[in-house]
Amino acid sequence: MRTADGPKKTAAIAALAMCVAAAAFLCLFVGASGMSPGECLAALARTSERASDVRIVWNIRMPRVLAALLAGAGLSLSGLIMQTVLGNAMASPSTLGVSNAAVFGANLSILAFVGGFVSTGNNLQNYAAGINPYAASLTAFAFSMLSALLVLGLCTRRAFSPGVVVLAGVAMGSVWTAGTTLLQFYATDVGLSAAVIWNFGDLGRATYRTDAIMAAVVLPSAAFFCLMAWRFNALLSGDAAARSMGVDVGGLRFLSLLICSLITAVCVSFLGIIGFVGIICPHVTKKLLGQDHRFATPASALSGSLLLLLADTLSRSMGGGSALPVGAVTTLLGAPFFAAIVLSRREAG
Amino acid sequence: MLRIENLSFRYGRHGPLALRGVSLELADGEIGVLLGKNGSGKTTLFKNILGLCTPLCGAILLDGADVARMSRQERAARIAYVPQDIRFGALSVFDSVLMGRVARFGLRAGPEDCAAVERILAQMRLESVARQNVQRLSGGERQKVAIARALAQEPRLMVLDEPTGNLDIANQQLFCRQVRALAARGIAVLVSLHDLNQALRLGERFFCLKDGAIRYGGPKEQLDADAIFDVFGARVRIIRHEGETIILGGETP
Repeated sequence: MRTADGPKKTAAIAALAMCVAAAAFLCLFVGASGMSPGECLAALARTSERASDVRIVWNIRMPRVLAALLAGAGLSLSGLIMQTVLGNAMASPSTLGVSNAAVFGANLSILAFVGGFVSTGNNLQNYAAGINPYAASLTAFAFSMLSALLVLGLCTRRAFSPGVVVLAGVAMGSVWTAGTTLLQFYATDVGLSAAVIWNFGDLGRATYRTDAIMAAVVLPSAAFFCLMAWRFNALLSGDAAARSMGVDVGGLRFLSLLICSLITAVCVSFLGIIGFVGIICPHVTKKLLGQDHRFATPASALSGSLLLLLADTLSRSMGGGSALPVGAVTTLLGAPFFAAIVLSRREAG
Repeated sequence: MLRIENLSFRYGRHGPLALRGVSLELADGEIGVLLGKNGSGKTTLFKNILGLCTPLCGAILLDGADVARMSRQERAARIAYVPQDIRFGALSVFDSVLMGRVARFGLRAGPEDCAAVERILAQMRLESVARQNVQRLSGGERQKVAIARALAQEPRLMVLDEPTGNLDIANQQLFCRQVRALAARGIAVLVSLHDLNQALRLGERFFCLKDGAIRYGGPKEQLDADAIFDVFGARVRIIRHEGETIILGGETP
């Protein structure tokens, strides 16, 4: 295939993939337990004499690293595709109000159904003890998808016009935020702190089961987005031009928005809010490799994984035993790089 | 050959008719020019031809086949469109042209698609910029790329909406040469233009739209000042000199 800088871009993606693999491996060696690299290697090979080391590496760090790989890739891909199908550089994975709805759902679960103002007993302790660890996630997911489907349903009347989708998403997100504020206003101090802590993105909530669910959503979605690369490229020429080239613009936009919302809903429901990955990574990727989705799609996924891996490792290293909110670290880590790239004059072909 | 029979269209269920019984014919290799004031229905007619709108009644036939019954892929393989507002992503010129074949190759471009693009780039004299980012080209060059992309669809009909609005005189002349070259290959070309003199230099058959209806349809030799006054509401003088036809603007009553 003759493409401007095609081999260079393929090499860049391969290098990025190797960086992600190396970072994922190295992240297994970082944590609060104070294990030496040798002990980590032994635990990784399951030859360690200490069972706790094997448990730490295989039951705590490994699911966390997998979650960073999957959620980072999913959120970044979701941001890239949202920006393309809506023709809006500020579009993000939560443009349809998905994250706001997830926060509302989780807050409802924590404050109203588990331990808040309609608490019927010591349910908050149950929540904290993990008796029903998926209650908040399931409610968050249900409200996320409800939000996405409501916005998409409303927008069918206007043939998924990008401007209408964005505005409807903003309005819907504001409704969920208002609902969350009201919930928190009536919450007890303990319930409120539990709800706020849920909002912080935390990869420590990941288990192999949640990783498997995220993988079941993110991996087929990534494959679909890669297959549709030429159609997304055609959308960059405008709706009328894309239609004249045989692209089902309305169908592609609807399906893409639905899939992006599903990815975001799953990631946010299990891990909390991890902001900015879906904006930083697609923009940096497009700036460095261009908008051609054959390259931008895998590169965005890989850069999202890398950023979240590094941010999570940093958050675990800097927290003094308890991890800092990964969403905040992601933003602090990515924003200066993002600003430098966006302000630079470099443009990829 | 493009044949439109008694085509009517309205936006929404109860909106006014945007096209009223439009009928026209354009032979293979013929250049048809669509004239009319802003809002007269030119772009709406194009949208109907491209299958972006569903007509209220009437038919659009291309080589005898009803455009409304064609699949998206079939339509894209027969009708190409160069919009007024030409936009490209940050892709190379080669890839931007290759994109025109997306309906033919589906998911992944094959060697025959790349060979077709190389042929078209050579015809359009775009080989030297093939690897450049299309967004870095001048307006005239980008328009050439847009035409090349449309050519990559290997269409029977090419529809161009106000293509010269942003071009300087040299690029306008270049555009006219390109359109004549398309027609010489047997492609029917339907183009909407605001510049009447350019329209006269380029077009062989004229269709004047007013309020969604064709008020004049025929060869340029028969296009007269009265027809132009009827359509545009502007008095003009038409001078024919040594085979050239020139329109001089007059006062609008």
